[in-house]
Amino acid sequence: MKNTRSLRKLALLLLAASLFGQTPAEKQSQIASFEKVWTTIRDKHWQRNPGGLDWQAIHSEFLPRIEAAKSDEEAVAIMREMLGRLKQTHFGIFPAAVYNDVEGEGGGDGSAGIDTRVLEGKAVVTDLDPGSPAEKAGVKPGWVVISVNGKPLGPVIEKLKSDPEIHELALERAVHSRLTGLVGSTIKVAFLDAANTPVTRDLELTTERGQMARFGNLPPMPVFFESKKFGNTGYVRFNMFLDLVRVMSGFGTAVENCMKCDGFIIDLRGNPGGIGGMAMGMAGWLVDKPDQRLGAMYLRDATLNFVINPRAEVFTGPVAILVDGSSASTSEIFAGGLKDLGRARIFGTKTAAAALPSIFERLPNGDGFQYATANYISEGGKALEGIGVTPDVEVKLTREGLLAGHDAVLDAALEWIRKKK
Amino acid sequence: MNRRYLITALLALAPFALCQDEPLPKAETILDHYVEVTGGKAAYDKRTNEIAYGTLEFKAQGLKGAVTRYSAAPAQEYLVMEIEGVGKLESGMDHGVVWEKNVMLGPRIKSGAERAQSLREGTFNASVYWRDQYPKVETTGAEMLDGELCYKVVLTPKEGNPETMYFQKKSGLAVKITTVAVSQMGDIPFEVVSSDYKTFGGVSMPTKITQKAGGQEFTITINDVKTNQPLPADRFEPPAEIKALLSKAAEKK
Repeated sequence: MKNTRSLRKLALLLLAASLFGQTPAEKQSQIASFEKVWTTIRDKHWQRNPGGLDWQAIHSEFLPRIEAAKSDEEAVAIMREMLGRLKQTHFGIFPAAVYNDVEGEGGGDGSAGIDTRVLEGKAVVTDLDPGSPAEKAGVKPGWVVISVNGKPLGPVIEKLKSDPEIHELALERAVHSRLTGLVGSTIKVAFLDAANTPVTRDLELTTERGQMARFGNLPPMPVFFESKKFGNTGYVRFNMFLDLVRVMSGFGTAVENCMKCDGFIIDLRGNPGGIGGMAMGMAGWLVDKPDQRLGAMYLRDATLNFVINPRAEVFTGPVAILVDGSSASTSEIFAGGLKDLGRARIFGTKTAAAALPSIFERLPNGDGFQYATANYISEGGKALEGIGVTPDVEVKLTREGLLAGHDAVLDAALEWIRKKK
Repeated sequence: MNRRYLITALLALAPFALCQDEPLPKAETILDHYVEVTGGKAAYDKRTNEIAYGTLEFKAQGLKGAVTRYSAAPAQEYLVMEIEGVGKLESGMDHGVVWEKNVMLGPRIKSGAERAQSLREGTFNASVYWRDQYPKVETTGAEMLDGELCYKVVLTPKEGNPETMYFQKKSGLAVKITTVAVSQMGDIPFEVVSSDYKTFGGVSMPTKITQKAGGQEFTITINDVKTNQPLPADRFEPPAEIKALLSKAAEKK
């Protein structure tokens, strides 16, 4: 009886807490989060008066509202409203639950070797790493990933797609993270095969494709670079603008070996970017005219022009760049700049619109906070941030095409080069 | 807390007191004094070439590397930096050709104000020959840096942006330079802080040099300097990629 009464009292207290707002600890956490967001923008935004605003006045206006917020949700909404005043992309608050959805439960260096894209709300296999566990298990492009370790992907995709703050890159990352884990561990993946028959594969994860690359304090990351020819058309693909020496050398060699090619294709689909300077260096193999720029990056104290140094001998034939919603940052700087210069034709779907150097941090309240530290304007005079690179030729992958063994985007680029011959 | 306020107040007063009590020395005097305290003109003139060996570190990024700089009179230079994860970065000048080459951006030849700036920096024993480089020098004030009163001298070159140098009143040594550096990527506010002077071949020079530009900061530590060494005849010759660019430019003309 006494226990029942105590429980009832506790329930009433909880009810009261929910009616009367946050606990003092929660309120303190939200105030600390607000201060972290406000101070970060004050100190790190590329404009001394962020967004042309009186940032001190913004503090005076919003702090009392945060202090008066009656729930975590209200506090987050107030912080989002404050960031919204900037009218700039790449500034956002991601509620802890959404942040966790993006991060997924996977993690670790192990991979099944499956590349996916969300097509019409489904995670469709678009590519398989050569010799990967998934390829050996008979998984094919065009199959649909239904669940991983018994947890369906559909609700996660639906939830993330409904959040306007989550862009395609984050969505693809959410799917990808669920297909990773510790090397040597096994994941059970349920697919829909070509005949829409449910099939399950136990995939023992191996190291990801590529060589582990180190760059200063960044965690080691697997980087692959591939170069081949389709007939007399050169083709390169690399998963990141990293592993500077190997990737730059590989790119240079590929172009040098292709000086008499009918065309050259650079596949940046799924490439999230990396070292910005590599875009300038690669462009130097493709642009003959001196004093050309890909664009300019605006920092608080300086403007950095992304200048191209033409090599002594450059490739002057048609250049096609393949992009999709997971092509971000340096990929966009490279593709957008060469498009603006009229030097490359872009094929695929719109890029991630995430060109700025932005940072994700955890706030004291557990939410994710994203902010940019520079602005970037492509040579054509447009910001890539929030807009992205719109392809000259929009080509979407389809499940049907993938099942038939076609890469519609690559096919379109090859066809354009064939016609230019 | 009160003590901190007091120190701050004293620091703030120091230059004011100096301005009240003693006139600022002429810039020419400060620059010539620097030559004297670092070894004197005769010691400088005995040196015909130099090889400096050191390390460099971008602490925030976790990048480290080795740096070697060969230089010779009148204005020859070859600098090579090997940074882990970035590769080899080379630059040089010889007979007026100023160039740089690295794995990321490829080879290029500098021109205009950027070339002039590099030539100024690459002139051998440049400290002695400042009159040839800067038609106008002026002492503009004095301020405290790391607890030492420093004279502030603005040097205006024939071509390019003015440079502000800070010389310690007590030691006469240069401890800081600020300028807007001309680079291919644009004009960038630039700060160099020098310390830990050591003597090599009769001339004293800073062995710790911290540079800040474009949100990046890195420190070079000089471990050894050898002077008047036998150098191969082609030490300062531009690499093949630079020669190819020179040929291409000549063909276009």
